Amino acid sequence: MKQDFENDEWMKRARETGFTTPTHYFDELTESINAKITVEKFKAVVQNDGYTVPDNYFEKLQANILAKTTAQIQPETKPKVVRLWKSGIVKYASAACFLLVTGLGLYFNNQQSPTQKTTSADLATEQMLYDIDEQVIIDHISSTDITQPKPAVTDTDLENYILTNYSQNELATSL
Amino acid sequence: MKQVEDSEILEKFSDVKTRNEAFNLLLNKYQQKIYWHIRRLVIDHDDADDLVQDVFIKVWKNLDSFRSDSQLYTWIYRIATNESITFLNKKKQRNNTPLDEVSDELTETLVASSYFNGDKVQLKLQQALLTLPEKQRLIFNMKYFDELKYEEIAEITGTSVGALKASFHIAVKKIEVFMLNDDITF
Repeated sequence: MKQDFENDEWMKRARETGFTTPTHYFDELTESINAKITVEKFKAVVQNDGYTVPDNYFEKLQANILAKTTAQIQPETKPKVVRLWKSGIVKYASAACFLLVTGLGLYFNNQQSPTQKTTSADLATEQMLYDIDEQVIIDHISSTDITQPKPAVTDTDLENYILTNYSQNELATSL
Repeated sequence: MKQVEDSEILEKFSDVKTRNEAFNLLLNKYQQKIYWHIRRLVIDHDDADDLVQDVFIKVWKNLDSFRSDSQLYTWIYRIATNESITFLNKKKQRNNTPLDEVSDELTETLVASSYFNGDKVQLKLQQALLTLPEKQRLIFNMKYFDELKYEEIAEITGTSVGALKASFHIAVKKIEVFMLNDDITF
C-alpha cells in the first residue's frame, strides 16, 4: 500500500514534466529485469552451447558454396555450326552433281578436234622457238642450204621414156 | 581483421566484374553466424551443413533483387530461419512424428551426436531448450546466443518487439525451472 502510494506520487510528478511511458511498461519492466538477471546466471555457468564441427569445416564449407554459386560457369556460346548438308538427300545430290560436271569435262576434253590439237602443238612449238635466242636461229638458217636439190632426171627425159615404152592405147586407158 | 561493410558488399555485387569478390566477402562475414543459427535449430551437423549451403545459394541467386529496406544480415537470417523451420516441419511430416515427440527426437539426436562435446550443464540447457515451442526456442537462441536486438529479431521473424520480449521472458523462466529441477544451481 505504501509502495503503491509512492509509485503513484512518482507517476504524478513525471506527468507534470511532460514525459510518458508505453502502456504496461512498469509491469513488463519487472519481468525484463528478472529475465536479464537469470540470463546473466546462465552465462556464468554455460559459456557456449557445446556444439562442435569437423576440423577445417568452414574452409570446406566456403569452397562448397563457391563451387555451387560463383564457379558455375555459363555454358560457352559455341559458334553456331551451320551444316552444309542438313539432310542426306542434299549431300548425295551434291556429290552426283560434282561427278556429272567432272565427267562431262573429261568427255569434252577427249573429244577435242585435230585442228585444236594441232593448234595446241603449234603453240607448243612456237613457245619453244620463243625461248631460243634469235641470233642462234639466224645462224642456223644461214648455215643450212635450203635450195631444193636438182632432180637426177629432167622432164624431157621422162616424156621420151614414156612415149617410147607405152603405146597410145595404154596411155589413153591409164588416163 | 576489419569487417567489410554491407554497403560495400552490395555495391561490389551489383557490378558483374566484382560480383564473385563480393560474394566471397559476404561468405567470410556471415557463413559461421548463419551456420550456428541453423545448427541450434536443427541440432544435427549434417542437416545444418545442407541447409547452410542451400541458404547461401538462395542468397547468391536473389541478392540482385535485395531491396535495402532491411539490413542485409537480417535478410540472410530470415532466409536461414525459414529454411530451418521448413526443414523441421518436413521432417515431422516425413517421420509422422507427433508434435509433442519432436523434442524427444531432437534430444536423442543431440545426445548421440559426435559433434557435441558439452558438459552436463550445457547438455541440460540444450535439453531445456528443446522443450520449448519452436518459435520460442528460435527467439531465445537469437537473443541469448546471437545477441541480436529485439528490433532485429522483429525484422527476422515478423513479430512485434513486445511479443518478442514476452516470449523471451517466458522462455527464460521455463529454462530456469527445468534446470533447477535437475538440481543445477546458478
